[in-house]
Amino acid sequence: MNRFTRSHLLLYAVHIVLALLVLLPLAFAFVSSFRPLEDIYKYMSPITWKTFWPSNFTWGAYQMLFTERGFGQIFLNTFFVGAANVIGGLLLGSMAAFAFVYFEFRGKTLLFLLVLLTFMIPFEVISIPLYSLVNSLGWVDTYAGIIIPGIANGLVIFLFRQFFLELPTSLVESARMDGASWLRVYTRIVMPLCKPVTVSASLLIFIQQWESFLWPLIVTRSKEYKVIQVALSDFVTEYATYWNEMFAAVILSILIPVVLLLPLQRYYVQGIANTGSKE
Amino acid sequence: MKLKNNIGSILLFLLPTLAGLFLFKLYPIFSAVVQSVYTTQFFTGEKSFVGLQNYQSLFADPVFWNSLKVTLVFNLIINPLQIVLAFALAMLLNTKIKRIAFFRGIHFVPVAVSVPTACVLWNIMLSPEQGVVNSILVALGLDPQPFLGSSLQALGSIIAIASWKGVGYWSLFLLAGLQEIPGSLLEASSLDGASRWKQFVHVILPLMKRPLTFIVVAVTTANFLLFSPMYILTKGGPENSTNVLMLESFNNAFLYSDMGRSYAIMVILLLITLTVVALQFKWLRTSH
Repeated sequence: MNRFTRSHLLLYAVHIVLALLVLLPLAFAFVSSFRPLEDIYKYMSPITWKTFWPSNFTWGAYQMLFTERGFGQIFLNTFFVGAANVIGGLLLGSMAAFAFVYFEFRGKTLLFLLVLLTFMIPFEVISIPLYSLVNSLGWVDTYAGIIIPGIANGLVIFLFRQFFLELPTSLVESARMDGASWLRVYTRIVMPLCKPVTVSASLLIFIQQWESFLWPLIVTRSKEYKVIQVALSDFVTEYATYWNEMFAAVILSILIPVVLLLPLQRYYVQGIANTGSKE
Repeated sequence: MKLKNNIGSILLFLLPTLAGLFLFKLYPIFSAVVQSVYTTQFFTGEKSFVGLQNYQSLFADPVFWNSLKVTLVFNLIINPLQIVLAFALAMLLNTKIKRIAFFRGIHFVPVAVSVPTACVLWNIMLSPEQGVVNSILVALGLDPQPFLGSSLQALGSIIAIASWKGVGYWSLFLLAGLQEIPGSLLEASSLDGASRWKQFVHVILPLMKRPLTFIVVAVTTANFLLFSPMYILTKGGPENSTNVLMLESFNNAFLYSDMGRSYAIMVILLLITLTVVALQFKWLRTSH
């Protein structure tokens, strides 16, 4: 065997080990979510092939989540919060980016630096003082409290700005010469060209919202406003022994991002590449 | 040509976002600093100015010092670990072998798994009595481990769980950077007889400066403020071994209703994070 193929074999071996490390825990959760509760502990020790395969297949855990644990409401909440953030975030973010690229005014550079600053400040640092603010606005335990503080999003402004800078300026110039208003230029000329960045930004916002934990934990109290990540963590404390249901809840929490990311992976990676490698 | 724009359209396009950013992102930081010199009466809810008293009582409290120590130890291990692993993984995923797209896809999967979800999943798998990880250890003839239940292993377990979720995600940024390096540059350097290592140090690293700076900063800020694993898995225990500053600040605000102390911790955490990030920027700038 020559050196070339041996190094390739080694690479494949490393890749396969790493892939198993990522996938096996998820595969185990998936399989276990189809077990009846009494089977969960039965095959755990000593380890046999039955540990990794549901011999008595059942949808029971999923049914329980929706009938007994209120996951229908939790899903609706999470979708609603995600959708509101995507729509609001896209609208405000793209308009602000539009202003930063096409308008001339004093203090523009300074304001843009402030936008960059807000995008670099980690959310956790402001979460507790933000709670006091939202509390004094009377928004604790409301949809407004979960949604509104996150809508103005520096990252989205940044992504749209990068995209606008690459568009030919003659497009906007000639429309303005023809007497189109700025609002018309924005809605009819610039935004229709923005499909790729719009998809990237929507995905980034939605996934970020789907995964957010600290803020919804702080700002909501009642079951009515629970979102998926908080519900999942409550499950650990409230029903610690319902392992099959916990596995099912884990699978459900992963399912939606996977369904969105599989066909749109390219856009998500583009968004990430733009944040990570460009100025 | 210069496009004419009026103050009306500027306000229409910019004001809503700027108002949101100022109110919900910048003002809270300012307010944390201000509130940290006040204390709230537990019964009346009245606020009174106490100067640096919140900070003084923090510095006199062994719970705070332990929490600071845990935060620093945690970060000294997890940050270099995640950055090196993410870079290695990105290099591995950038090799030109068949089916590499498939392997890239697999490491994209943790993007869909949030940190809280990863915590819940591994919490069941690491269960001391009946978890599958201990079953595997026993089947291999090893002793079962307490993992999150032991003050010696809990922090390490959290580092492992957070890295299981994090490394694939961070490597996405680095892979995007690696793919922008022109292949001709690498070919030229290997024709010149540069070893793999020399090529890495003199060609790849300098070209990766920007994405590397980004993930070094992003990883550090994320981990200094990591909260959900400690909240979900250990609540800071056993024996305060995972009680990081972020959790301590959260507990002071929402468990013990001591807002002044919570803000003081938050300000200290903010200062530490900013210092580390500034040092990294400086180091990355001078090292190339």
